[in-house]
Parts: sequence; C-alpha cells; structure tokens
Amino acid sequence: MDKDKVAIVGCAQTKYEEDKIDLTVSELVFEVVHQLHEDLGITNDDVGCVITSSNDFNDGRTIANMAIQDAVGSVRKSESRVSGDGAFAYVYGAMRILSESYDTVLVVSHCKCSEVNQYLVNNSIFDPFYQRHLGLDQVSSAGLMANMYMQKYGISEEQAAKIAVKNRKYARDNPYAHLQKEISIEDVLNSKMMAYPLKELDLPPFSDGAVAMLLTNEAKAKEFTDTPVWLKGYGSCTDAYYLGHRNMTDLVGLELAAKEAYKMANIQNPLKEIDIFEVYDAFSFHELMIYESLGLCKKGEGGKFIDDHFESNLPINKSGGVLSSNPTMANGLIRVAEVATQLMGKAGKRQVNNAKIGLAHGMNGICSQGNCVLIFGGE
Amino acid sequence: MTKHQTAIVGIGQTKFRSKRRDVNIPEMIYEAVRMALDDAQLEPKDIDAILIGNMDHFEGINFSEMWTGIDAAPGYLKPVVKVATGGTTGSSLAICGYHNVASGIYDKVLVIGWEKLNEGGATTGIITAFDPVWERPSLAGALGPLALMAGMYSAKYGITPEQAAKVTVKNRSNAANNPFAHLQMPDITIDYVMSSQVISYPLRLHDCCPQSEGACALIYANETEVKKITDNPAWFHAVETAHYYTFGTDDKMYDLPTATIASKKAYKKAGIKDPINDLDVAEIYEPTSWSELSWTEALGFCKPGEGGKLLDEGITQMSGELPVNPSGGVLSTNPIGATAMVRVAEAATQIMDRGEKRQVPDVERALAMGFGGSLWTELMILGKEPMR
Amino acid sequence: MSRKKKGDIFEIKWKTNLPYRWSIGKLAVKFFEELKENKKILGSKCPKCKKVHFPPRAVCAECLVKMTLDDMVELPPRGTLEGFTVVNYPFTDPSTGGIRPFPYGYAIFKLDGADTYTMHFVNETDASKMKIGQRVEAVFNDELVGDLVADIPYFRIVEDEKEGD
Repeated sequence: MDKDKVAIVGCAQTKYEEDKIDLTVSELVFEVVHQLHEDLGITNDDVGCVITSSNDFNDGRTIANMAIQDAVGSVRKSESRVSGDGAFAYVYGAMRILSESYDTVLVVSHCKCSEVNQYLVNNSIFDPFYQRHLGLDQVSSAGLMANMYMQKYGISEEQAAKIAVKNRKYARDNPYAHLQKEISIEDVLNSKMMAYPLKELDLPPFSDGAVAMLLTNEAKAKEFTDTPVWLKGYGSCTDAYYLGHRNMTDLVGLELAAKEAYKMANIQNPLKEIDIFEVYDAFSFHELMIYESLGLCKKGEGGKFIDDHFESNLPINKSGGVLSSNPTMANGLIRVAEVATQLMGKAGKRQVNNAKIGLAHGMNGICSQGNCVLIFGGE
Repeated sequence: MTKHQTAIVGIGQTKFRSKRRDVNIPEMIYEAVRMALDDAQLEPKDIDAILIGNMDHFEGINFSEMWTGIDAAPGYLKPVVKVATGGTTGSSLAICGYHNVASGIYDKVLVIGWEKLNEGGATTGIITAFDPVWERPSLAGALGPLALMAGMYSAKYGITPEQAAKVTVKNRSNAANNPFAHLQMPDITIDYVMSSQVISYPLRLHDCCPQSEGACALIYANETEVKKITDNPAWFHAVETAHYYTFGTDDKMYDLPTATIASKKAYKKAGIKDPINDLDVAEIYEPTSWSELSWTEALGFCKPGEGGKLLDEGITQMSGELPVNPSGGVLSTNPIGATAMVRVAEAATQIMDRGEKRQVPDVERALAMGFGGSLWTELMILGKEPMR
Repeated sequence: MSRKKKGDIFEIKWKTNLPYRWSIGKLAVKFFEELKENKKILGSKCPKCKKVHFPPRAVCAECLVKMTLDDMVELPPRGTLEGFTVVNYPFTDPSTGGIRPFPYGYAIFKLDGADTYTMHFVNETDASKMKIGQRVEAVFNDELVGDLVADIPYFRIVEDEKEGD
C-alpha cells in the first residue's frame, strides 16, 4: 500500500450515553455528520461518497443503513455499508480513495445499544447447531477466555482490575465518554460477579452513540486542515469461528494483523515508536492480552506489564476505551477518531504530548475473532 | 483512472433451487467457492481477502460472515468483511471487491454472495427493512412497493400486462440455456403468465421473481496477477452507485431515478455514448417483469415510456442488438444476497465467451446491475480489454 | 428449539423473541399527540427549501438541514391517489408473528400540501374500482389513542369528489 495517500481531515463524535431516547437513529447520525460539515466548513457537495457501518440485529432493521440515508446525505450519491465494526468501514473508505475513485469519503458508524437486549443480539452470533443453545454471549464467552488466560499465565484479577481503573480514570478527561467516574481496584474486585472471573466493572457498559470522519486523498487534504492524519499501516486477520477452535489464551488474529500493520508502517519497536494506542478493550483481561499480541510485552506478561506501568500514565486508551464507552458497532471507528484527534493535537485534557504516530484497533465478532489494526501518522 | 486495473478471473455459482435441504449454509457456500477456485486454478492460500455477505435477518444469524467466512471460505487468518445492503448486497460486495484490488491493498480477493432464504422468512425480513412506525404496518414485503411501482408505471405510459408478461417469457425461456438458473421454462407462453393469480395488483404470480437458495463466488485479481492466472479475464471499466431518500415513497415511483443517475455517470466513465450500440449484453436486476421494461428506460436503452416497445421490437431478445438477461435474470433466479452478484458473474461469463448455450456472440462490453433498498441502483461495466 | 429428522435430513427449528424499543423522535411524538388530542395530521417543512415532508422527519435529505417541532405544519386529511395495489398473498407480519389478513388494499398518495408521497391502507379490495387521480380521505377511529393504524385504519376513496373540485 502506498503510504500517506489517505488522510483523515476531521472527526466528530457524540457524547456516549446509556439511553439517547429522544433521538432516532437518523437524528443521532445527523448530529455527527452536521458537526463534521460545520467544523470543516463543507457542504454535502464536497463529499464524494459515503461508507457506513451498522448492524441489522442491533438496529432491528434489515438494511439498517436505509434508516440513515437522509442523515448522511447519500441522495444521488454512492453509499455502501459494512455490516461490521466501524474500523472496517474506515478501511473500505480508504480503499475508495486509494482506488482513485473518489477524492473525499465520509465514513460514519452508529449504534444504539439501548433499543434491544444486547445479550440476545450477541447470542445470535453463535451458530444454531452447536453453540447458540448453550446461551453463550459476549459476557460468558469473555469469561471463558479470561479464565483460560488467567490460568495459563498466572494473571490475577487484581492485575485485570488495574486496566478498568486506568481506563475509567482516563475517561474523566474525555468529554465524550459515557462513564466518567473514577473507580478503585477494590470497587472492581467487589462488583457483582457476571461470569467468572469477570465482574461487572471488568466489563463495559452499553452505550448509544455515533462517530463520523472525512477522508481525503493527498491532493485535497491541505484544503481541509493543516493537520491531516495519514494512514501508514494496515493489517486485518480473522481467527477461527468456534470457541473450541480458537486459541483462547493468545489473540492470534490480532498478533498477525498487528505484524502486517507494523511491517507496512516500518515499525520495529511498537512501545517505543508508537505514541498513542487506542485498542478495543472488550473486557479488562482482554486489554492485557492485547498488550501481548501487539508486542508491547512478552507472551504471558500482560499482568506484569500493567503492574510495572500502572502509575506511569500509559498512552493506551486515553479516551477511556470501550470499558468507558461501548456503542458496540462504532467502537473501532471511535478508536480511529481518538487516534486522529490525538495526532491533530486536538485532544484537550487527554492529549498525549507530541503524539506523532498512533495505533487503532477494531474488532468483529466474539472474543477478538476479527481484528483490524491501523497505524496513523501526523506527518 | 484507477490505481490498479482489476479483473474477474474465476466464477462459481451453485445450481439455484427453491430449497437446498441437502446442505447447511457453509456447505452450500463452499460449492460456489470451490468452483471459483477451481475455475481460476488457485489454492485457498492464494486468496488475500474474503468479502462475503447476505442479510443477517433472513437466516437469523448475526455476524454471519464470522461463521461462513471461516467454514465455507478460506478466511482463516485472513481479512473477512461483510458488506450487506439488501437487494444490492451482491453488487455492493462486487463493488467492494473492486475497490479492494484497485486500491492496491490486496492482489487477489474472493467475493461471495449467498442466501438460504427458506431457512428464515424473506418477506418478513424484508418488511423489517422499513420504518417501524410509518411504513411497516401497511407494507407487504418487497412485492407491495413493486406492485405500486408497476401500477404507476402502467398508468403513466400505457404499458399493458401482456407487454410485461413478455418479459417473463423471454427471461424464463432464456433461463433454459443457463445450467445454474432456478426456474427454467423453455416452453413458457404469455398465456401461462397471464393466467396466473394476481397476487398484488397488477402483479401476477409469474410477473414476480421466485425465492431461491444458493451462492455465487467471484475471484478478482489485479493486472500483475491476472497474467499468471488467465488470458481471458473480464476487466472492470466502470463502477457506480446511486442512492436516494430513506423513504422510498418520497419521490415518484413510476420510474427509477437512481438508475438514470448511476448509468449517466457509469457510461461517461466507460466512454459509452449509445448503450444499445456500445454495450453488447446487459444483465439487469428485474424483480418483476414490469421492472425490466421500466429499468431499460431508466438505463437509457430507450426513451421514457418506450420499454414495452423496445421488447416488442426484439431489441432486448437474445437475437436483438442488446440482449437483456440471457441468464434468465432475477425472474428466474433470486437468492437475495447473491442475486446482484449473479448479474456480475453472468456479465463476466459473457465477456469471457463461456456462456455456451446462452452466449451472446462477440461480447466486448457488458453491463451488470444491482437494485434494492429504497430504490437504489448499482452498476458495473465490464470489458474484454482493460480500460485505458 | 426442536429437532426433526426426515429420512437423512436433519433440521433445527428455532424461534427467538427479540423485542425492540425504538426511539421515534420528538417530531413523531408530537405527531401522535396532535393526532390523539386534536385529530390533526402534521408534516414537517424544511426551513431552507420549504419542502413539506410527510411522514414528518427530523432531517431534510436535500438540504441536510434539521427540522424541529417549530417546522411542523398541519396537513388536511385528504389527498390524491398516485398508485394502489391489493395485496393478495400470505406472509408473516414481523410485528405480530402471525399471518397478516389478506386481501387488503394499500395505496400511495400525496396529502394536499405535502411534497412527498406516503403509503397507507385503503378500504378497497377491488383493483378495478381504483384509479390514479381519485381523491382519498382519512377515516378516523372514533376513539383516538395516538397510534397510526389504530387511529386512521385506512383512507377511503371519495367517490363524489374529483381532483380540481
């Protein structure tokens, strides 16, 4: 892939909340599209095409993107929908720029978790022959994964709790975050057991929200902003489907996706060379596993890593991560937006100083089955 | 101009049937995947990325690509992404595959569309595409709006039910030459269509497409890889999509404005000035017989209102200047997630001169169309040579 | 969940109840309030292009401009028929889980003063009695509860009135 050919020139996010009951999905999406237009001083004529991300089961609508056509301005334009995590919609948008088919692409992702029972929606991801009737969902399968990881490498619940504490603390500086109250390690350890070893505060909330960004090609980037954010590297990898086929203690798919992205972006030592990470922390232990798969520490040493770095202001999930805001389908695109915001120097109180290179991680399916790793640079 | 020239190098289709009770979903999809890989003489390891899609609600499987992409396709440890847009799913996937390769990010991509409609309820699923407050109470699946459109089209231009019936006769007899088609009726007559029950005025049963089960797979490659695979690919010349309002009823429904918008752009890109002469074959997405007449006008094959005349004059018959739907079209085969992709597969088959009994002679350029959602159109123009 | 074996073929049947609580938005809430309290039908008018939308919605697709409660306008319960059909086949209604009774007439029409078309039931099941251009009128239920189909079960063809009268 040619580097520095696709730029993010602006992003807009909603405040993530438990229940945006007064907004239809169309109004929710319009909020971020309108904000983006205002911020960039553009009209709908400046947008070449639109890529959206949404999920039918979550929205209770087949062709869920049909509900937001008016809001994204797709009249007489091309609009296509990735039925998956928003990070993959970013990738498709970038491809449309790289194929030299469009100069500008609007990418939007939305999710209203408040409209349906999230456990039922998630249970329907499992096949109806072997797994669905077990009642598996995102919580029970995460519990399985966390427990196996914990047992194999001797990770403690306390070490995992540190992730929740870190992310919730960072969220206080993120005006968009859903949960903005700090918690302590004791709070996490004492919270209600959901699926051993995961307790309520090891798990994310369910949120409503949307995020939008404008992508441009190299030629147009400077028209819109002095601080374009360039795509430097990309990798995508899907692990096995059945939980029994999966490596449940090491995120194989993520590791391979990251390796691809690092190679493309010419990164040898990610911890040293990457200034800001936004990863998809679906549960507390998960972030420790992610550290290992991204190569930030050795296999099995995720717990040790957080112990060593707990006090040192890690530039990982400065937004508060998924543990603080979880509009499920939009999470990957939010990670991209947060990295872009950091690299543009617009992250306010949560800004990492002098952030030049960032990594965003998007995820599809159960327990990191599908992974997308994106590396961005501000120069 | 595109960054990388992109071509279709392998095609796979299952024989479409109303019920494939003999296979489960991954097994069914695998048939098309195996066929495409064999066709291109590639191994699973040669594929860089998988794009696979259907409508989740129709089979009741959320994130179906996570299962089917691994069990039915070589997606393990590879990128697997689902693009799903309703009736246009197949063409959206086909277009996404194009961008995957033309962008230079992947060299060889496998694109799969599928549907096992009878495992869920297609009409029930389709109704959920519409607004729960304003549209669902009265909406009757996809056939309801299509019936309204047919009635408005007929009233506006004086098109008769016999003219519409001719489309079914053309397409389902064409389908007899297509080994993959679902409904193959070599001896079908206008009487057969006209004597079928009116299921939603003015649509008769045989004015409407069936519900089929099956899968379609395409393998794409860039120009460097094409050389290693085949000397008979089908090159992408233009790719265009046009969408409209959320509510399909916001604008008049007697024609298809998005087809006009998309075709103007696509023809310009591909250097097509007169579709009847510059295109050699068209695979268009006609959910009802009336739609084909209307869509031929919207695509610029003739003036508005003259779709019936175009067919009466034989221009869109197999022997005409611009044969439409030699495969039998959607009226013969309709596995929703794959339907629009079958149009692309058939257009490519024609370009590659592999249509056998359904081959149109001397095909240099072909048009493939997808339709769905709130009256959206997607178009692809394929050619025998790369576009320069 | 049930399992069946017919000869060599296994099937698994599964029924899931998946209830949704959709937000209908402030404009729809106002619409239903006015329908229930005052037997009024409201649309929304774009402040920029002045296009009157029915059903009312918050975003004008052409202008990408928001329509608010202040942009709602009253529409008469009358319109002109633009298209019609009589649905004559069984299908499962996703809102009830049962078969929707058929045949039923449903049509597309433009309310007087609206710039968009809309669909609803009509009380005619004989297609030969309907013609594009006929006038239609909403039929209200005696008791109004703030539900579209309950309050306006159908539109009726007005026999004695022609467009232009």
